[in-house]
Order: sequence, then C-alpha cells, then structure tokens
Amino acid sequence: MTFSRSMDCFEFYERAKKGTKMSQDDWDLMTIPMKSMELKQKYNLDFKNEFIPTDKDMMENLFKAGFEMLLDCGIFCTDTSRVVKYTEDEIWDALNNVQKGFTLGTGRDAVNVKKRSVGDKRKPIVQGGPTGSPISENMFMPVHMSYALEKEVDTIVNGVMMTVRGKPPIPKSPYEILAAKTETRLIKNAAAMAGRPGMGI
Amino acid sequence: MAHYQGNSDIIMDEQMPIFGGYAGGIEETTIVDIATHINAFVMSNASWHLDGPVHIRWGSTNTRETLQIAGWACATISEFTDIISGNQYYPCAGPCTEMCLLEASAQSMTDTASGREILSGVAAAKGVVQDKTTGMEARMMGEVARATSGMDIAEVNGIIDNLVKLYEKDYAKAPEGKTFQECYDVATVTPTDEYVKVYDGARRKLEELGLVF
Repeated sequence: MTFSRSMDCFEFYERAKKGTKMSQDDWDLMTIPMKSMELKQKYNLDFKNEFIPTDKDMMENLFKAGFEMLLDCGIFCTDTSRVVKYTEDEIWDALNNVQKGFTLGTGRDAVNVKKRSVGDKRKPIVQGGPTGSPISENMFMPVHMSYALEKEVDTIVNGVMMTVRGKPPIPKSPYEILAAKTETRLIKNAAAMAGRPGMGI
Repeated sequence: MAHYQGNSDIIMDEQMPIFGGYAGGIEETTIVDIATHINAFVMSNASWHLDGPVHIRWGSTNTRETLQIAGWACATISEFTDIISGNQYYPCAGPCTEMCLLEASAQSMTDTASGREILSGVAAAKGVVQDKTTGMEARMMGEVARATSGMDIAEVNGIIDNLVKLYEKDYAKAPEGKTFQECYDVATVTPTDEYVKVYDGARRKLEELGLVF
C-alpha cells in the first residue's frame, strides 16, 4: 500500500506514542533473538570464514533478512515502551532517496564523501581522532592536533574532555554545555594550528 | 533530529551491534546490523550511518567475529543500496604497541575492501583509558586503507586471516600501551623515536603478510 507521505522524525514521534506496548525485556530477550535466529535459518546464512563476502547470492539473502528484520520487528522506543512499525513502501522510499554524497569541511581542507563499492580503488575518508575516548583538559588540544598534523587524516572525530575549568561536565549541569562548546573550539584551534583550519570536525 | 533536519545539517546516525548480545551469533548480529543501517535512513533521514560491531567479551571491534560482521554488513549494504557507511575502531591494546597497530590494520583492511566510505578512529585501549589515543594509530588506519584499496578480495581475506592470528590469542593480556604525553613530545606534537620504531615494526609485519604500501 502506498504511503501518505515520506517517513520522518515527526511521524516517528507520532507512532512512538501509539504503537504496540511492549516491555524492554520482551523486546531484548524475545523479539530480537527469535526473529534474527528465524531469519538466519530462513535464508540459510553461513558466512564460513570470509571477512569480506565473495558469494553474491548469500549477500542478497543477507540483505533480504536485514530488510525483513526491520519490516517485521520495527523499532522499540525506550521512552514510551512502544514499537514503531514502517511499511515496506516507506522503507524503500527512504532507501531509494538516500543522500549519495556530501562535503565535510570548507575551503582547501574540505573532502567529498562519495559512495564506494566492494574492492573500490579509491581510499575511504579517514576520520581521525579519539572517537569518544576520555581526554584530559590540558591534553585536549595537542591530542587532536596530533591527528590534524597527519596527512592521511581527512576529518576529525572528537574525544571527550574529562573536565572543563577543572570541573567534570556532569549531564544537565551548565558545565556540560561549556564542555561541549569548549571541545569544538579547541578542536577547531587544533586544526587551524596544524595549518588545516577548514577541516571537518 | 528535528533541529538538524530544519537546519539542513549533515546527519550521522550511529549504532554499535554487539556480538554475543541479544541477537547472539555472527550471522544473527549481522542481520540486525543491516536492519539498523536501513533504519538510520527511515527514522533519522540520516546522511550517513556510523557502524561499530563490538565483541561483548572483549569490548573490541577488531576481533575475528566483529570483523566478519562489519565486512559482511558493509559489503551487502554497498552492493544493494546507496547508503554511505562508516565504522569505528576500538582495539584492545593501547598506543605505542604493535598489537594496537595490527588490530587497527585488520579493521582498516576489512572496511576498505568491503566498500566502507568513512573510517573513524582509532580509540586505542578500547576507548576507555584517559589520554590513550594518538595520531599515529590514525596514520596506520589511513596508510593501510590506501594500500588495501583496489586489492583482490580473496587476497584481502587471506591477509586478514593471518593478521588476526597474530593478536587474537592476546586479548586477555593486551598491552596497555602509553599515554599521549608518553608517546609524543607535547610541545612540538611529535611522536617519540620509540613510537616511530614500533610503527615501523608493525608496518614490516604487514608487508611480510603481503600488504604493499
């Protein structure tokens, strides 16, 4: 059945208020393990010892299994304890209209992120950084600068500053906001000091 | 999400499937990984999806099982959709150790060959110890990605298999490595000679396995 309009976060919010009620235990301990096991058997999935698949038929079966997992189970909203379901057409609408590329950063430091394929000859984008690791306040800028100084690195992914003005950035305190803003400013400074002020962060 | 969408921002939607978690085994967890990739674009109207299959016992993305999940999920998503996908790096070992660099290399090879668009890392020492990440691990991730690009997939599978064998027995006693302050001259932001030597050693091991830099 065709859908009335494309799915978005607003429609998700509406469905998260009206979907089927379920406990998180039922979702975690019944829905997910039972359905994933059922789909593995239905599609005869066996990866053997390969890290990167060479069997196109098995890949197609895996795609069907993943699609069916989302279609049949939907998404569990932990805030409302309700299940949000999509129709098959809504899922295809999203898949058929994904963003096929975008730019990170500005000026000569900008990089274009483009679709790659299996065995692609083009190097992927390297987003260098602590990736959420804890970083002390006094080391925050040099640590991030060490990534910006590497030519193999295209953009920066941040670490987490453990204190700001010596205080821990406790959630829902003003220090949380100060820490988030300070992180961004220090990383931008680090990239600029490395001679790459337009780096995407 | 409403703010990002209203602001025309680039939206990254992240999820880390857990091998050994609720979904269970390798294939089951990969099914969930595919489903959550797709969901990012239905629910969040994402620009790209950040993946990160992680091992429930070791807290690492570089194990044999999690590399298989990442490789199969990404190759399948690459083959059947236009989704842009990234992966994040959590090796067991800390900076300035050969194990850390080899772990990151195995994942970089898996990601690059399976069609991943963005490599995000490296959160050395599982990303949980203060100041234990440096630019050198990201350099290795990038150099290995460059070397792997365009390689034959069967050859890549063979090298990763041998590469993982070099470190997979050591998860429980993975070397802690050193802090950024111990790995770099902080004033000049330059790696120590010791780290450069460790890096060279790891690179030589990768060359012995068949990777051409």
